[in-house]
Amino acid sequence: MLKLDKLSKSFGGILATDDVSLELKPNSINAVIGPNGAGKTTLFNLITGKISLDKGQIFIGNKNITNLTESEITHLGVARAFQITNIFPTLSVKDSIKVALLAKQHGLNNMWNRFKTHSINNKAEIIAKLSGLTKSYDTISSELSHGDQKLLDIALALALKPKVLLLDEPTAGMGPEERWKMIDRIQKLWKKTKMTVLFIEHDMDIVFDTAQNIYVLQQGSIIAEGTPKEIKNNKKVIEAYLGGGKK
Amino acid sequence: MEIFALLDCIISPACLLSQAAGGLKIGMLLFLVASGLTLVFGVLGVINFAHGALYMLGAYFSWQIMSITGHFGLSVILGALGVGIFGLLFERILISRVYNADLLVQILLCYSVVLILDDLVMIIWGDEFLSSVGVPEVFQVPPLFIFDAIIPPFHLAIISMSFIVGLILWFIMTKTRFGRLVRAAAVNPKMLEALGININLLRACVFMLGSFLAGLGGALAASVGSVVSGMGNSIIIESFIVTVIGGMGSISGAFLASLIIGMARSFGAVAMPLFTDGLMFLIMVLVLVLRPQGLMGNKK
Amino acid sequence: MLFLNKDNFQRDVFLGLLVWLILIMFYFIFPDPGIHDIIQKVFILGLFAMSLNILIGYLGLIAFGHAAFFASGAYTLGLFLQSDFVSNLASFSIPVAMLLAVLVSGILATLIGAICIRLKDIYFSFLTLAFQMLIYSIILALVNITGGDQGLMGGFPKPPFLGINLGKPFDFYAFTIFISIITIVILRQIIESPFGYGLRMIRDNSERPAALGFSNQKHKLIAFIIAGSIAGLAGSLQALLDVGAYPEWAFWSKSAEPLFMILLGGMHSFLGPLMGALIFEILNDFVTANTRYYGLVLGLVILCFVLGLKKGLLDWILIKFNRK
Repeated sequence: MLKLDKLSKSFGGILATDDVSLELKPNSINAVIGPNGAGKTTLFNLITGKISLDKGQIFIGNKNITNLTESEITHLGVARAFQITNIFPTLSVKDSIKVALLAKQHGLNNMWNRFKTHSINNKAEIIAKLSGLTKSYDTISSELSHGDQKLLDIALALALKPKVLLLDEPTAGMGPEERWKMIDRIQKLWKKTKMTVLFIEHDMDIVFDTAQNIYVLQQGSIIAEGTPKEIKNNKKVIEAYLGGGKK
Repeated sequence: MEIFALLDCIISPACLLSQAAGGLKIGMLLFLVASGLTLVFGVLGVINFAHGALYMLGAYFSWQIMSITGHFGLSVILGALGVGIFGLLFERILISRVYNADLLVQILLCYSVVLILDDLVMIIWGDEFLSSVGVPEVFQVPPLFIFDAIIPPFHLAIISMSFIVGLILWFIMTKTRFGRLVRAAAVNPKMLEALGININLLRACVFMLGSFLAGLGGALAASVGSVVSGMGNSIIIESFIVTVIGGMGSISGAFLASLIIGMARSFGAVAMPLFTDGLMFLIMVLVLVLRPQGLMGNKK
Repeated sequence: MLFLNKDNFQRDVFLGLLVWLILIMFYFIFPDPGIHDIIQKVFILGLFAMSLNILIGYLGLIAFGHAAFFASGAYTLGLFLQSDFVSNLASFSIPVAMLLAVLVSGILATLIGAICIRLKDIYFSFLTLAFQMLIYSIILALVNITGGDQGLMGGFPKPPFLGINLGKPFDFYAFTIFISIITIVILRQIIESPFGYGLRMIRDNSERPAALGFSNQKHKLIAFIIAGSIAGLAGSLQALLDVGAYPEWAFWSKSAEPLFMILLGGMHSFLGPLMGALIFEILNDFVTANTRYYGLVLGLVILCFVLGLKKGLLDWILIKFNRK
């Protein structure tokens, strides 16, 4: 579904992404792990076109999306949620999801309808339900709990009906219990929508429990990939990551 | 546009020199004022719209001291110091409340102070123009003739004085502990606070220094021109132009930009007398479009 | 009254016309020309402030050169009505002149906006200021056309059209308010449309829209053009009122006026700037009648709003009433 072919990117001479190749199967759920500064978020930024590539190619299905703009790539079916919650503080949950839905279908140029009574309302409700935000549907985003803000960030991505969903640390800043709730929610989402999911996560238990396939990133390059079982027993990983520096 | 007038001027040493000296005078006076504005912006992150009003205050203060003491040097120094102290109060009482507010709030707060000060000076000193303090006796000598160019000695004095102030400012900013702290505060105020530096005191000092510079410019201006309410309203715009062209927060940039604007005004007056101001704004537009961070500014 | 609870275009048109009729009755109940003058000006300046608030309140861009478009509208109308076209067009002169004023301001806003929206924050503000002062300088320099610092002198004819004679105080009053209200109703539609929510989205978070497949720049430019056009309309009405146009209308302090109104009335309520214009005009009228020191009073009032209330009056009222 998503195929990266030898991506490289350096900032001021330092390789942040070093010859990264991977291929995600359709309707799979995958995780990227790696220590801080391994280049996980940079990889997401490269995939979504937020920053430009030095070398390499990116494909969605058979379509080459290398060097397209962030907005174009989004329209081709890649959506993301951010590590640091990236929402619209003064809009309500409902209005936020609606603008995301309308952005996807170029509906925000419309000056003739009223936003409040726009027919997109039904779709927005479905997205909110899917993301577990029905209760706080009319709450202003800045007044949501941290967890709900994270969910809203994901809901905005879902509104784009993506083929590939990238989640950058969906459980960042959460307590253990909240984390599992969040990951539960994501698994349900994934099963319902048949998306291809790639998420970044620090909690190994969550990763091994959730992901079908795991990519281990270190200093910009993939040092190992495989099923949770394979990764658990991979010598390189144990040495470089699990064994050596587990915090 | 009278391009031939400009050419005529450039090939005549007399005209070239007197226009250049005129431009230098305008530029250096402008630098005094604008360096204060850019300093305050660089460290405090506040666009001090009231900077021109402080300049006006400097002119009134020095006029008042001159009429009491009759001593020129004293009137300039005390006038500027008075504005420095006024600036300190202004910062402590008003500006310090809006450091974290958004741009619009800061601008409106400063502008309200402009409106208030413009009227206050009228209440205190009357609505009429006050005639200029006048050039001190030492300089009341025949002008110098260099290549037939007429250059008043007092203008040379203003140029060299501004230049010296610029040097002192440069010295303070680069060679002293205070200067290092100020530059550090511009980059990372939180870090300084963590190191136990009293950031509020530092801000107040910087604002006072900035106000002092505005007052100094006003006090000198009072010696060559008349003093009137609202006289700060054009210098503030010129200071903005200098700040933007030089790079916001950069004192060396302000120096360069002041020279450019001084020359543009002086030679612009020959080439296109009706569009001299327009020329400045044209330069400002070009710099903002081609190099928004300014000539000497750092890219964010 | 179910009809009035629905927030839609029809209701707004209905309410707008109702307000218009009430103000017309008001004209006859209070025959004092001073009051009529204030009301006219409130609408003209309110229109100016509301157009700026599209950028400030809904888009989060602090434009500091908005008077450029006010002045371009005023000068376009004035110059057109002074030209020979008037004798050919006769009774259509004023509508055509006003359309032209909006069009010219819109085109100017397109050119200036396309360059300005590439910059952010304070740099955007400074560039709008620079463009405005450039236009001010051009007006001063083109003495033969604009009259330089004297302004557009000699007046211009105001030929009647459709039975409206703008030379008559009542006709002018009714016409100005009618045009303003219609524009406000249209603006309301734009602000409450998906387009308007696109503006709010950019204001709230200018990074995220790209990840939603949305490009901010086109949206910003359209908003800038709408704001400039409406400011041009306000300028043309002001020129009709004063039968002239003055370079001060393009000076930076003219751009500060709508900022005051937005501050006084509130930037987060649709009608806030209009209310700000009302406060501004009443203050102006009251203070200038009693003291010469208008700036002092205005400055103190602004200081109170900035440091005390911390929001516009209408914003404050709406928050008070919604909190139960």
